[in-house]
Amino acid sequence: MSTPGPEPSVVLSLRGVSKAFGAVQAVRDVTFDCRGGEIHALVGENGSGKSTLLGMASGFLAPDDGEIEIDGRPRRRGSPGEARRLGLGIAYQTTSHVLDLSVAENLYLAASGNERPVYGRMERWATSTLEEFGVDLPVGTRVGALSLAQRQFLEVVKSLLARPKVLLLDEPTTALGPQEVQQLHALVHERSRAGVGIVYVSHRLPEVLQIADRVSVLRDGVKQGTFDAAGMSEDALVAHMIGRPLQLAFPERDGDGRVPEVLLDAAGFRGDRFGPIELKVERGEILGLAGAEGNGQAQFLRALAGVERAAGRVSCDGAELNTKSPLSALRQGVVLLSGDRMQESLFPVLSVRANTTVQVLRRLGPLGLLNRRRERRTVDDMAGRLRIRMASVEQPVQSLSGGNQQKVSLTRPFLRGDVKLILADEPTQGVDVGARFDIYEALRAKANEGVALIVKSSDPLELAGLCDRVVVMSRGVIVDEIPGNELGEQRIVEAIVGGRAAKKVEA
Amino acid sequence: MRFRGWIPLVLLAGLIVGVSAYTAVRQDAFLTEYNINNLLLATMPLALVAIGQTNALLVGGFDVSVAALITMCVVTASFTLKPDETTLALFLGSLAIVGVGLATGIFNATLIRIFRLPSIIATLGTLSILEGASLLLRNAPEGEINSNVIDALNTSIGFMPVAFVGVVLLVVLADIWLYRTRTGMAVRAVGLDETSARRLGMSTGLVIFTAFVVCSAMASIAGFYSAAQVQIGSPIIGDYALTSIAAAVLGGASLAGGRGSFVGTLLAALFLSLINNVLPLFQQPAEYAQMTIGALILLALVLYQAPDLIGRLRTSWGGVGRLETSDGEAPAA
Repeated sequence: MSTPGPEPSVVLSLRGVSKAFGAVQAVRDVTFDCRGGEIHALVGENGSGKSTLLGMASGFLAPDDGEIEIDGRPRRRGSPGEARRLGLGIAYQTTSHVLDLSVAENLYLAASGNERPVYGRMERWATSTLEEFGVDLPVGTRVGALSLAQRQFLEVVKSLLARPKVLLLDEPTTALGPQEVQQLHALVHERSRAGVGIVYVSHRLPEVLQIADRVSVLRDGVKQGTFDAAGMSEDALVAHMIGRPLQLAFPERDGDGRVPEVLLDAAGFRGDRFGPIELKVERGEILGLAGAEGNGQAQFLRALAGVERAAGRVSCDGAELNTKSPLSALRQGVVLLSGDRMQESLFPVLSVRANTTVQVLRRLGPLGLLNRRRERRTVDDMAGRLRIRMASVEQPVQSLSGGNQQKVSLTRPFLRGDVKLILADEPTQGVDVGARFDIYEALRAKANEGVALIVKSSDPLELAGLCDRVVVMSRGVIVDEIPGNELGEQRIVEAIVGGRAAKKVEA
Repeated sequence: MRFRGWIPLVLLAGLIVGVSAYTAVRQDAFLTEYNINNLLLATMPLALVAIGQTNALLVGGFDVSVAALITMCVVTASFTLKPDETTLALFLGSLAIVGVGLATGIFNATLIRIFRLPSIIATLGTLSILEGASLLLRNAPEGEINSNVIDALNTSIGFMPVAFVGVVLLVVLADIWLYRTRTGMAVRAVGLDETSARRLGMSTGLVIFTAFVVCSAMASIAGFYSAAQVQIGSPIIGDYALTSIAAAVLGGASLAGGRGSFVGTLLAALFLSLINNVLPLFQQPAEYAQMTIGALILLALVLYQAPDLIGRLRTSWGGVGRLETSDGEAPAA
């Protein structure tokens, strides 16, 4: 797509790019352009392909198909260095700092030959560079000792060092407070006035509509259109972002196990990337945990299970919950279903049988000797109940489909009699639609036994269908709570993209 | 360089001076021109191979094949540096030895970077291949090595071998490069955090590849000095794999990559040779040297890693504390 003469030139152009990871088509035939001096926002739900698109533009990922031009020149090889030379700067969401080096050293490393002073003048140069972009950071400090917000500003300055023609910002405000967002936006506006084309990727629609000239929407790796931000509303954007072809079935909320009795009570609970969090969960309740990726949801769940460090007070079933180690949390009946099944839950090369019974071996025979018959019966029973599809119980777990793998890890809370709280991190990620219902049903069955569940999911539809109540996290804290009678996909997405959708309820 | 980087250097220098002074006072045989010259020459192979090893450690790898490579170079020397060769033939013969080193380095680096094998596994395989090849070429020590070459390698002014002066210059320049230039910093960045380094547009693959080639090349030069010591094509040369890693680590290199000092490595190599040198003077069995070295390595590892451990604990708790403060005031504003 070429622009007519009088308009500013296109500084970044992607034509028909596609990228697949294994069987997953992350981006499909997307055409996107950004003009000099324009702020072009890119929005979409988690997993809609935004980061993949940025990765291809910046040379970190090689597209399977399609063409990419930077400042009118085609990119040949896929390498970050080449994209940079052609005039592209990128600020990564997970930043590109070497934490053990100082601010000045990181800036120095990021600079290319002609921008760099001699080594000895590094610190003075770093100070004046930061000043030029209106960012105040201690240049001699290790980056690892900076706050996440400070690191984000450093990341943006690094991406600006080469005076790029086009600047890609990937979720630049996730770690920032409101004041800092304004500061960052001032910097972005200043750059765009200087003629830099800016691609602004964000979940936060109010921010996007405030700053962008144009907005492009991605859904499931496919572009839904490019719109002028001036004529756009949040509602209309949300409608483009969701809009799902497939209707999912969910088990009924019969509320059998629902006892109005608080099981989990967290007060002032905080850790790396989240907190302080105040949260109560009742017995038999399925609580959904929503939010844009990277806002502390996963860390919160993992801290509850004792996998990550945290401070603050949590009680479970009346007793203080010990979150010092996974074992201590497990002893108190807290089970984590990790989002990274293959790495953290399952033993991929071991059989379904071994993976199922690994936590309850003591029960399966006298004197520490396994009674194979009893073990086999237990596994067959579980496999039938959760509808695990496999050739044999001796099949290695890694050869099962994603859904059946998840079911195998689900057998564990079923076999342990003492489970009180299940923390499920993306329980249906990589799970085919057919198996999803079985998993929802299994989770609901545990709730009906009186177990409390916290389900973290990046799929609003899933949360709306499965949960009794949903809380929304942003920047590490709970910013919204959606009761059962208000639950809906639209409402959840609005809460996530709005950051604070409570105003909507009041209006 | 932050203060922490000086700890190993100061510690080692102190140990060397201390042990030397203690021995000099008690044993007349220690502070003689002959003994010091011997000590410094004996340090050469270890110093050279440990300098190479430091490169591998800096990019976060190991090279355990250096031991077998040194043996291979000595065995090669027994064929290419024969007593009655012309100068030209000796020159070509020397190139062949360096060639063996470069070829091994490229082989290792290819396994590690292109086939993505963990460096310890890749170099273990190479170790085994080279060991077998050396035994195939010389299944017992035989094949005298040209004495002119040996004399040239051992050229000394007074007690000081010329080559040792060269190594001192080399490590000083290498440390200046590592801590006072951009490329040096880039190498450390690759060792500290490869993903970030790649995102910054560095050719991390090339850096790691080069580090392993340099490591092997240094080992082949160490092979010359090893040959000068044994003077014959011996297929059984001492275990330089672990000692070279030990020297680098004693000198301040981190097993996790990104940290190290070439000066520290040289000091550590000198210290390890010193222990081997003084124990016989006190009529102590050489086995004590081995045990002392082992204990010292463990002690050094614990000492040097301590700041890291403390730092790691502090950041994981610091993260918790920082969130509190960043709620109130905007740190970057």
